[in-house]
Amino acid sequence: MNPTYFALELKRFFRDYTGVFFIAVLPCFFYVVFGAAQFWSSQSVGRGNVAMYVMISMAAYGAVTATVSIGGSAAMERMQGWGRQLGLTPMRDSMFVATKAVVGVTVALVPIGLIFVIAAFTGARGDLPAWIVGGLVILVGAAVFSVYGLIFGLLFRSESAIGAASGTLVVLAFLGNLFFPLSGTLLTIAKFTPLYGYVSLARRTLTEGYILNGTQNGNLVFEPLWQPILNIVVWTVIFCALAVAAVRYGRRRQ
Amino acid sequence: MVQSAHPPTSRAPAIEVHGLTKQFRRAGQDPLRAVDGLDLTVPAGQIMAFLGPNGAGKTTTLDMVLGLTTPDAGTIRVAGMAPRAAVRAGKVSAVLQSGGLLADLTVVETVRLIASTFDNPRPVGEVVERAGLAELANRRVSKCSGGEQQRLRFAMALLPDPEVLILDEPTAGMDVTARHEFWATMRADAAAGRTVLFATHYLEEADAFAERIVLISAGRVVADGTTSEIRASGAGRTIAVDMPESDRESWIGRVRSLPGVTHVEVRGRRVYIAASDTDSAALALLRDLGARNLEIAAPTLDSAFVALTGEHSAATEPDGESGGETAYAADYVGEVSA
Repeated sequence: MNPTYFALELKRFFRDYTGVFFIAVLPCFFYVVFGAAQFWSSQSVGRGNVAMYVMISMAAYGAVTATVSIGGSAAMERMQGWGRQLGLTPMRDSMFVATKAVVGVTVALVPIGLIFVIAAFTGARGDLPAWIVGGLVILVGAAVFSVYGLIFGLLFRSESAIGAASGTLVVLAFLGNLFFPLSGTLLTIAKFTPLYGYVSLARRTLTEGYILNGTQNGNLVFEPLWQPILNIVVWTVIFCALAVAAVRYGRRRQ
Repeated sequence: MVQSAHPPTSRAPAIEVHGLTKQFRRAGQDPLRAVDGLDLTVPAGQIMAFLGPNGAGKTTTLDMVLGLTTPDAGTIRVAGMAPRAAVRAGKVSAVLQSGGLLADLTVVETVRLIASTFDNPRPVGEVVERAGLAELANRRVSKCSGGEQQRLRFAMALLPDPEVLILDEPTAGMDVTARHEFWATMRADAAAGRTVLFATHYLEEADAFAERIVLISAGRVVADGTTSEIRASGAGRTIAVDMPESDRESWIGRVRSLPGVTHVEVRGRRVYIAASDTDSAALALLRDLGARNLEIAAPTLDSAFVALTGEHSAATEPDGESGGETAYAADYVGEVSA
């Protein structure tokens, strides 16, 4: 990793106020509105309470917004000719990818850290494993979504590509059972969408595998572990295959 | 081949290219052979212009020399090394055509970023100064003019202190003032003995700045030498004659069929003829075709360019707008009366 490159990339991130708003401020706001401010936030869920459930969901949303944006801008920069400029330096492609990956993880830590701290002071309760596993799954899983951003950057090659990628994330977050609990047919559909397995796994230590399904009279339903894991594996494979196809398509157009 | 004005050294040639070939696939068409068996040797310390119409293969060749594109066939040595190794060792650097900057960084941040990828770069402050960017150091790249961005690319190219500097149409899109400033900076730098290879389609720049011009067309070298050598090569020499009064159509047809005649232009009674062998064409015109008042014009660099590449160069002077006329009606030095 190249520390100067890393530091300048972070500087670029904090200079982009719009990006900071969508990645860091908005998910915090969502947590406060949908979590801390609700009267049911102190109701218990598995090893903790509802506030913590909403905290993990919104931190996951912030983290994927961060990695999608970093992944998308990395692809776009290379497409717009910065890759040629780097081609005139000793920097290897693997070094570029490694540096961007560390930048992505660091930027993803911003919403996770902010929301976790705010939540800790506004009533989120849970046992230590729920906090730690939740945080780690959010961080590692978010890396997969940098590939999602990469695909948009490779295919659209303009600033609007990143906006488009972030916009689709909002839809996927609703469909992925992330913003509020889905039930019935919608919940069944949700299990096939890309954010479902990710956020479900992040909340799993807290919920002990139980999910709320409204059609079951508000009863909790146990979900086998293989469901969120299979969802993540399948979508990771799909994203990687699409990214490889997008790279080849991009090369043909050059 | 023209020798460099610099004293001979024991260094390896700056660039050695043999049989370089690159094809591009095109949907529904035959592949485009952008570079077609190109050979080129650039001795260390030489300032060489790479001249040719758009699409002649200049950028593709330079991309391969810089290791940005892989050739289909042929060998490339840069400062005695493979292209990518030469880039890693900081032996070669380049100012690329437009694009390729991060708009949200400042000038000095951009230089610092690129400097961080090299092991022993020149100090950031020094290259910023030499590229004339000291006053713009903290300006955002997005707020810089085209000329200023080009100087920024030049500053980045100076970081490894390369033996070979490649410039791909460095002044494209600049206004006249910015062009002059850019070349003034380059001239000061080249005096230090660096090998400079620049691609351009401005004849004026090649003529003013390079000690050697390599003209390429359709991916091949079509002429190689100093400006005066290319002028003297005979390519682009034209004949002007008055044609006989009668039966003009068939007379022009006969002129066109003379061996080596490439272009015939009629203006009133006067006919301008471009030919590869103007001596034998002139003999035939006077002896067999009854032409009168024959003149042979020495070629300008522009008419040589047209003759060698079959295309006009980019016009840099206002009167260049007239295109063909500049090429065929200029510079009459020799006169032969019939």
